[in-house]
Amino acid sequence: MNTAVLGQAYRNNLVGPVMRAGDLAQAVIEAARTDNPGKDIFVDDKRAYIRIHAEQEMILRQATIEEELGRPFRMNDLEVDLSSFAGQIESGDDSIRFYFVKKL
Amino acid sequence: MAVLNRMDWYDLARSTNWTPKYVAEDELFPPKLSGEFGLPLTAWEEYDEPYKQTYPEYVKVQREKDAGAYSVKAALERSRIFENADPGWKSVMKAHYGAIARGEYAAASAEARMMRFSKAPGMRNMATLGCMDEIRHGQMQLYFPHEHVAKDRQMDWAFKAYDTNEWAMIAARHFFDDIMMTRDAISVSIMLTFSFETGFTNMQFLGLAADAAEAGDHTFANLISSIQTDESRHAQIGGPALKVLIANGQKQEAQKRVDIALWGAWKLFSVLTGPIMDYYTPLEHRKQSFKEFMEEWIVAQFERALTDMGLDLPWYWDIFLKDLSETHHGMHMGSYYWRPTVWWNPSAGITPAERDWLEEKYPGWNDTWGQCWDVIIDNVVDGNMAKAYPETLPYVCNMCQLPILGTPGKGWNVKDYPLEYQGRLYHFGSEVDRWVFEQEPERYAGHLSIVDRFLAGMIQPMNLEGALAYMNIGPGECGDDAHNYAWAEVYRALRAERKAV
Repeated sequence: MNTAVLGQAYRNNLVGPVMRAGDLAQAVIEAARTDNPGKDIFVDDKRAYIRIHAEQEMILRQATIEEELGRPFRMNDLEVDLSSFAGQIESGDDSIRFYFVKKL
Repeated sequence: MAVLNRMDWYDLARSTNWTPKYVAEDELFPPKLSGEFGLPLTAWEEYDEPYKQTYPEYVKVQREKDAGAYSVKAALERSRIFENADPGWKSVMKAHYGAIARGEYAAASAEARMMRFSKAPGMRNMATLGCMDEIRHGQMQLYFPHEHVAKDRQMDWAFKAYDTNEWAMIAARHFFDDIMMTRDAISVSIMLTFSFETGFTNMQFLGLAADAAEAGDHTFANLISSIQTDESRHAQIGGPALKVLIANGQKQEAQKRVDIALWGAWKLFSVLTGPIMDYYTPLEHRKQSFKEFMEEWIVAQFERALTDMGLDLPWYWDIFLKDLSETHHGMHMGSYYWRPTVWWNPSAGITPAERDWLEEKYPGWNDTWGQCWDVIIDNVVDGNMAKAYPETLPYVCNMCQLPILGTPGKGWNVKDYPLEYQGRLYHFGSEVDRWVFEQEPERYAGHLSIVDRFLAGMIQPMNLEGALAYMNIGPGECGDDAHNYAWAEVYRALRAERKAV
């Protein structure tokens, strides 16, 4: 790849969590689909970690993840496997939001 | 009893600024430690941390993380992963632990500075948790390698490295001292948490975890990716500080700090992470090339986040993009050639199959770096081992403390970027390294590079033996070829084949 192409890689609008592999990551993938209707959810599995992204904004709700997991889950428990994320983050009691202010 | 939701009380509970009556504000928050941006307490009260956590939540989550990491270690302890690992992979672990483990305690100290001296209450809360995170990282990354110390003396460098004057450690300390040990609370939040932790730590703790998982080292993969879940929270300390600075007309100062930290991190990772990803990790276990990981984590993720914060790409963006394909190949060749001076055994990583991979990932590799490796290979195959070891020192940069290098071949472009400052001549490996120095010369001027020390007669006797003693590299610790030159057999066979034809 030449540097001109490489240099354009930052021109993307993908946001969302990068999860450690495991059952929580699988629940988050399903929740991302449920909680972001009409949006394409991009999943890139690198074995040790999984990128779960959408364009511009992604919302994850505590109740959705809890249902997918089939066990009690608090929004803050996401951190156990949230090893990184793309975009800015806004953390709430019942949901978490990844977003970009600007659209490139 | 009904318990309030966190967000019903969080803002109130962490609003811990007050108006000092017995001392002046500058005594409570000395500008040198709190940040000389001329902003009053009230400006910093606008700081709003986006990734909120309370102490009870912290304890619960961290307990769960530790239970996971330690139980994986316990479960795999008897699986002899270390004993059976490729020697190249062992070198990955040795380089990682030595360069990182004790630096985590230094990071705890930097977090503690934000915890005490930041004028932003939200930052103080997040840094309290961040400080405990870093202590956890120091403890785990000393505990996990400890079981291997009895099997391999080089593993002792997990603890020892930071106490030595080994050249790579001088470089690592110079960088970490600059961004976290000698900066005010706000600058630490920008340079350490925002620039380094939302950017580069992903390379070392997630990119490398992907390689570790492929290599079957699940203990290591699990450990470092667990550490990164802490980073991903406390790395968010810097973002809101950037927003406050930009809102108060301080964008230029903020941008400068990001640009300095990003460049230093890049140089350090070009010698640490580049070689281990593209040369030490066994070919069949490489998830992506170093350059591809850099593109994923730094260009696509970090730089995109930076522009969303209202900052610009660094002024040296084009230089950086070009160097992404080049610098670490030179760093690898250098650390391989000077292998007695490192605490791990570098893997050459240049069998014909590996060279095909390098050529595919870095078109032109064979015509540039490959030409130099041909000479090393010929010397080893001919049994000319004296020529396969160094006799002189490389010239190192007075900023990044790493060798000044260029790309070999037709485009040979090595260049010194000199600067005279108060009667002393400094040498830099790039325009950017020199620019960093020029931003605050008095901060860096007194430092002596390993070569400066050699020329000043501080290393005696002035030969390899004296250099090893100066670097605290004891018998059984100095590096040699990871595979004991087994790769030379492939080239010997190729020669024999050619002769037969």
